[in-house]
Amino acid sequence: MRVLLAEDDPLIGDGLRAGLRQRGFQVDWVRDGVAAERELLAEPYAAVVLDLGLPMQDGLAVLAAVRARGLAAPVLVLTARDAVRDRVHGLDLGADDYVVKPIDLDELAARLRALVRRSHGQPQENLQSGDLVLDPAARSVTLKGVRVPLSTREFDLLHALMLNAGRVMTRDQLERRLYSWGEEIDSNAIEVHIHHLRRKLRPDLIETVRGVGYAMARTP
Amino acid sequence: MRRIRSLRSRLLALVLGAVALVWLATAVATWSDARRELDELLDNHLAQAAALLVAQQAHGVDDDDREFDAAPPPGRYATHVAFQVWHEGRLIWHSAGAPTTALASHDRGFDTQQIDGQAWRVVAARGAEHDVQVYVAERLDSRSEILRALMRSMLWPIAVAMPLLALLGWWAVHRGLAPLQRLSAGLARRTPQALDPMQLDDTPTEMQPLLAALNGLLTRIATLLESERRFTADAAHELRTPITAIRAQAQVALGAGNDDDERRHALLATLEGCDRATRLVEQLLTLARLEAAPAAEDSNTDLSRLTRRIVAELAGSALDKQQSIELEAPDACTLQADETLLGILLRNLVDNAIRYSPVRSRICIAVSQSAARTELRVEDSGPGLSDEQRGRLGERFFRVLGNEQPGSGLGWSIALRIAAVQGATLSASRSDALGGLKAVVRWPN
Repeated sequence: MRVLLAEDDPLIGDGLRAGLRQRGFQVDWVRDGVAAERELLAEPYAAVVLDLGLPMQDGLAVLAAVRARGLAAPVLVLTARDAVRDRVHGLDLGADDYVVKPIDLDELAARLRALVRRSHGQPQENLQSGDLVLDPAARSVTLKGVRVPLSTREFDLLHALMLNAGRVMTRDQLERRLYSWGEEIDSNAIEVHIHHLRRKLRPDLIETVRGVGYAMARTP
Repeated sequence: MRRIRSLRSRLLALVLGAVALVWLATAVATWSDARRELDELLDNHLAQAAALLVAQQAHGVDDDDREFDAAPPPGRYATHVAFQVWHEGRLIWHSAGAPTTALASHDRGFDTQQIDGQAWRVVAARGAEHDVQVYVAERLDSRSEILRALMRSMLWPIAVAMPLLALLGWWAVHRGLAPLQRLSAGLARRTPQALDPMQLDDTPTEMQPLLAALNGLLTRIATLLESERRFTADAAHELRTPITAIRAQAQVALGAGNDDDERRHALLATLEGCDRATRLVEQLLTLARLEAAPAAEDSNTDLSRLTRRIVAELAGSALDKQQSIELEAPDACTLQADETLLGILLRNLVDNAIRYSPVRSRICIAVSQSAARTELRVEDSGPGLSDEQRGRLGERFFRVLGNEQPGSGLGWSIALRIAAVQGATLSASRSDALGGLKAVVRWPN
């Protein structure tokens, strides 16, 4: 899951990026408000961790600007300001969650997963497609109750497809959801991962829409 | 004498004392006035009685020694009056209680005589044709008795009125001091947090300055408390930043698994976070100490020597950033200052210049002394500050956004405070020579 981290403090930014990566997120880190707005509008992030005290453009201004441009991605505001007034203001401006520093990394990861899940209309923590169950918190996949070991990329790809079940995802869309900046992407990486998933799980699990992309069926 | 503490008792004592004094004065005046009138009236009576007796004797003087044998006229004063009529050296007529010796030795006019141990007022008159000498006398203490009776009838209502007056006075004072009572009751009811101005319905004119002073004090305390509260809240917020970093990095180190490089990196970052928290706490303590005990221990301090030492200490970090740092100072430049505080001030200014100027910039520090003033300048070729940013310097925790330096935002507050304590001024402006920030500390001589 690719998230944007907007944090100006070098130590905190470094720690959050490393911690979220350990917890299975792809993290892009920006250090000012202008960059945050630019990246949010350019890339399909699953969620945003937004510090309020950003240079050049305040976090709340970034939030207001991207919401005005129709950005739907869930935004988690991370701040040292904990007055109720600040929280209410932040939530009113379009934040989906408001977390006061310092924060536990596991909690931050859980909150991000919950935000992403809810933003895709998923009420439960686990995603299910027939007898296939994906647990985003444990990063595990079971088929008929049997755990299937998947690589990080394979898991992320399956997660993205299951979150967007019933919708066709282009290769480009999938790549941008899976890879953070500067990561090498082989031209056929997505195809290779899809191939592995079909082999490890079920051949008919992921449909190929020729010339467009891939999709998973929405299960009732 | 012990002073009366209660305002009410004092007012009551003063009012009653004044009333008593006035009454006393009135009584004294009445006494002397009544006495003079009484003397005049009764002397007149005596004189007329004597004249009557003389006139009566002129018609027929017989030589019988007659006693005035009619029963003495009734009344309390019967024994207090007497008369004698002498004819050719013989007492021919006298009142019942009168002695047989002459009542007086003079033959005309008034005199006061001691007779049988009593003071008598005696008037003497002589008949013109015959040798007739008349004395009419009256005991003086009868006059005093009348006077006393007069004073008694005048004073007893006052004696009765005094306690009543005291009671009424107490009530009046109580009523009069009611606003004071209301003020103290209002103050007593207040919670320690209530620092809004006291409002009192129709404050008396005399109490308005008191109330205004009280409200002024309350406002000042409220402002002070508010700034303390804000400082504490700000300090707590500021501490959250290094703690967040420390926590995140420690968790990363814990979760690094077999990745030794990642763990090492995270642990080093954890330490850096701790250093930052330490620095912030130190700055907070310095500031708190400065606010609590602003008294500086001034001594002869060599600004040149001190600056040289501080620059030498900090030059290392400047060299790390490939900055050129130079000091221009006279051999000695003494001034009266607290060396410890001055050291903190200098360190903050030089440290700021190094910290916030980019790699390979120039930093110039200069000490100068003239007849009028002693000056310390710290200039750099860094990005400087906008007017808006310069205006906000000295706000606690204000940091120029966008710089990567982990400052506490307290350095300038501390420097300002120290300068104020030392009687110096600290100002920031654009450096004409280097283009960056110029900080100037100036002591008037």
